[in-house]
Amino acid sequence: MKELTISSDAPGERLFVLGNEAIARGAIEAGVQVAAAYPGTPSSEILETLAGVAKGLDMYAEWSTNEKVAFEVALAASICGIRSMASMKHVGVNVAHDPLMTAGYMGAKGGLVLVSADDPWAWSSQNEQDNRYIALQGYIPVLEPSSVQEAKDMMADAFELSEEFKHLFMFRSVTRIGHARGDIVLGKIARERRKGQFVKDRTWLVYTPREARINKPLMLERFDKIKKRVNTLPYNQLKLADGARLGVVACGLSYSYTLEALKWLGIEDRVSLLKIGTPHPLPEELVIKLLSSVKEVLIAEELDPFVELHVKAIAGENNIPVKIHGKDRLPRIGELSTRKVTEAIADLTKSKPPLDFGRLDKLEKETAPLLPWRPPALCPGCSHRASHYAIRVASKRVARDYGQDIEPIYPGDIGCYNLAYNPPQEAVDTTICMGGSFGIANGLAHVIEAPIVAHLGDSTFFHAGIPPLINAVYNKANVTMVIMDNSATAMTGFQPHPGTGYTAMGEKAVQLKPEDIAKACGVEFVEVVDPFDLKKATETMEKAIRFPGPAVVVSRRLCAMIEQREKRKRKEAIIPYRVDQDKCNEKCNACIELLGCPALIKEDGRTVIDSALCTGCGLCAQVCPYKAIVEEKP
Amino acid sequence: MTKEFNVLITGVGGQGVILMSELLGKSAVKEGLKVRGSEILGMAVRGGSVTSAIRIGKDVYGPLIPTGKCTALVGMEPSEALRNISFLSKSSLVIVNTAATIPFTVSLGESTYPDMEQVLEKLGKAAGRIVELDATKIAQEAGSRLTANIVMLGALFGAEQLPIKTAAIKETIEERFPSKAAPTNIKAFDLGYQACRQALK
Repeated sequence: MKELTISSDAPGERLFVLGNEAIARGAIEAGVQVAAAYPGTPSSEILETLAGVAKGLDMYAEWSTNEKVAFEVALAASICGIRSMASMKHVGVNVAHDPLMTAGYMGAKGGLVLVSADDPWAWSSQNEQDNRYIALQGYIPVLEPSSVQEAKDMMADAFELSEEFKHLFMFRSVTRIGHARGDIVLGKIARERRKGQFVKDRTWLVYTPREARINKPLMLERFDKIKKRVNTLPYNQLKLADGARLGVVACGLSYSYTLEALKWLGIEDRVSLLKIGTPHPLPEELVIKLLSSVKEVLIAEELDPFVELHVKAIAGENNIPVKIHGKDRLPRIGELSTRKVTEAIADLTKSKPPLDFGRLDKLEKETAPLLPWRPPALCPGCSHRASHYAIRVASKRVARDYGQDIEPIYPGDIGCYNLAYNPPQEAVDTTICMGGSFGIANGLAHVIEAPIVAHLGDSTFFHAGIPPLINAVYNKANVTMVIMDNSATAMTGFQPHPGTGYTAMGEKAVQLKPEDIAKACGVEFVEVVDPFDLKKATETMEKAIRFPGPAVVVSRRLCAMIEQREKRKRKEAIIPYRVDQDKCNEKCNACIELLGCPALIKEDGRTVIDSALCTGCGLCAQVCPYKAIVEEKP
Repeated sequence: MTKEFNVLITGVGGQGVILMSELLGKSAVKEGLKVRGSEILGMAVRGGSVTSAIRIGKDVYGPLIPTGKCTALVGMEPSEALRNISFLSKSSLVIVNTAATIPFTVSLGESTYPDMEQVLEKLGKAAGRIVELDATKIAQEAGSRLTANIVMLGALFGAEQLPIKTAAIKETIEERFPSKAAPTNIKAFDLGYQACRQALK
C-alpha cells in the first residue's frame, strides 16, 4: 500500500497529524489554489505543508515578505475568482490590518480565508491579543474549531461559506489547535482548477470615499445573512439537559475541555451545553434558547470575554433573567484546561471536585525551588552570540566618551537574537514587534544621549526593517542598525526569504542583500562583517557607532543549525574545542560569563566543553584571556 | 482495557521528545485508537524545557493531560520529570532517564541543579511506580547516543501497559528512520524494553 500523506486523495482513511497540517489539509480538500503567509509560531506549518505539496496539486504557495503582502496576494486571487488563503500568527494580522479592514467592504469572489493563529499564554509571542476583536471591527465572520479534526473540516467548509456569502472568513486557530496532534479522517480533494479572471469594476475595487459609502451597506447586508446562517451551521450545537440549572457556552477549544470536565464530574446529563464554532457572529437563536432554559450560564472561552460580552448583550436585549458567568470564574490570562473548567463547573453545580487539586498545587509549589532555571538559549555555535558580544564591547567603549555613567541602549527585535536578553548577555533592552528595533532606535536618537545600537535579523529586516531604516536617513537619526544575517528565518523553522535565494516552492530566486538595500536607501556607512572574526567585527561596530548619522553593519554568518546539518550531509567532521586544564584559571569563568554557551559547563569546579554540543565555532577561544581553549585534535 | 491512557514525555529541546510522541501517536492510529496530544515548546529552538502529551482513549477530547491524570511519565531528563510532578498520581508510572542535562544557568551560578536522590525520591513518592535507567548509556550500547529517546520509548513499552502492540511501534520506527539507522534504533528500543522489564521484576 502506498504510504498515506497529507495530500493523498483517500477519503475515509485516518491520518495522525499536527493541527496545522489538518488546517492545510482542509484547504487542500477545498481546492485552494493560492496560499500566502509569513512565518510565525504557531502558524508556520500551515504554509510549509501547502508549499511542500503545491506543485503536485497544481496550486501556488509563497512565503511573502510580510503578512500585509501575504493577505494582499490572497485578496487579489480571490478578486480573480480563485480560492485563496493567507495564514499568519495573531500579531501578524496587525501587519495585515490595513487591507483587511477594507477587504470586509469588498467581500470575496473566490473563497477567501484568513487564518489567524492566536497564542494564549504567549508561548512564542510578545502578547496574547484576541483577534476575534479584529474580526469584529472588520465585519469578518470567525470560524473557531474545537479539535484537530474539526480544524480540517471547518477549513474546507470556510471556502464554501466564503463563496456562498461572497465574503471573507477568518479561521481562528490557537496554539493548542495548531500545535495539537490528533487523528483525522480524510475527505475528498476538490480537483477543480479555476483560471483567474480580472474583471474591471471600479465601484467594487477602487476605494475612494464614494465606494466606501456604496459598499458599507452591502457589507452589512452580507453580514446580516451570515448572522442568520450561523444558527444552522453544524459547528454550533445546542444540547439541552432536562431540568438543567446550569448551561455552559463553550467556544472553540474550550468545548473539548468542557466535554472532559463534565465527564470527569459525571454530570453530563445535568448541564446544558452550547458549543460555539462561530464566536462572531454568535448563533443568536441558539443562545436565546439556552439562556431561556437555565438559571445560570458559564461562558468558557480563552483570553478575552468576547463571547461573554455578546451573550450578555443578547440576554439584555431579550430581557432574559439569567445569571451569566465568564471571566469572574475563568481566567482572562493564558490557556484554559480541563482542570480549570472542571473547577469552575464544580463550583457552580456544587459538585465535588474529582481530585484534590489543592494537594497537587502544594506538591508543585514545594518542588519549584528545587528546579533549575532552564530558559531557551542561543544554540552552541550561534553567530548571534558573537554579534551581540561585538556590539557590547564596541558600544561600551564608545559610551565612555559620552560620560561616566552612560550605558549604550540596545533596541531588539523578534527572532532568535532576542534570546540574548537572558543572562549572561543581557544584550536586549526593548522588544516590541517586527522591525520595532529600528523604529524605537529612531525615536531614542532624538531624546537620549548615548550610543544606540539596534539589531534585527535578515528575515525581519525584509519584513519591517526597511521603512525605519529610510526614516533614520531622512530624519537624521544617529543610530547604528545591525542586521544579524544568518541567512534563515531560524526561530520559526528555517523558512526561505528574499535573502536566501530560493522560494517556498523550492525554486531559485534573486538573492537580495541587506547591504545593497541599505546603500540604496542612502545610508553612508554600510559594512559587512563575519561575527566569528571577533576582533574585526568589534572594530567595525565601533566605527559604525562613532559614525555621525545612521550606520548599518551586516553581521553575516550562516545559522549554526543549518551549517551543522550541511556539514553532516557533506560528511564533514565537526571538530570541537576543549579546555586545556593546565592553562585554564578555574576562577576566571570569562568564557561562561561573557558568552553563556550551553556547551561551556562547570564540572567539579573546572570549566569544560561538552564535546557533544560544541560546534567548533571557536568563539570561546577568542575571548579566553589565558588562551586555554584549543581545538580538539581530529 | 482502561478507558484512558495519558503519556507525558518531558525533556530538553534537542532530546527528541517530539519525535517520541509522533511515533507513539502514529502507532496508536495504526491500531485503530483515537489519539489526542500537544506539545509545549516555549520559544525554544534548543535548550529549553519541552513536554509533549499523547492521549489515547474513547473519551479523550482535550490536547493536554489534566493535572493528576498522567498514566505514564517518560522523563528524558530528571529535573524536567520533576518539573511535571503535579501530573502524577498514585496510579502513575514514572520512567526516568537518570542522565542529567545541566542548564547553562547552573554554570553561571544563576540557579542550582537538584540532588539526584532527592529528585527520584520526590517522583517515587508522587507516583505509584518508578523505573530509573541510564538511557544515554544504553543508547551508546545500542550504537548511538542519539537513540536515548528510542531507549525510553522501548522502556515505556516494556512496562506493558499501553494498548499498542510492540510490533506496531517497531514498524513505525522502521518507517521513520532511513534503512541504515533503523537497526540501531530497533536495538535501542529492545534494550530499553528489556531494561524496564528487568527493573519491574
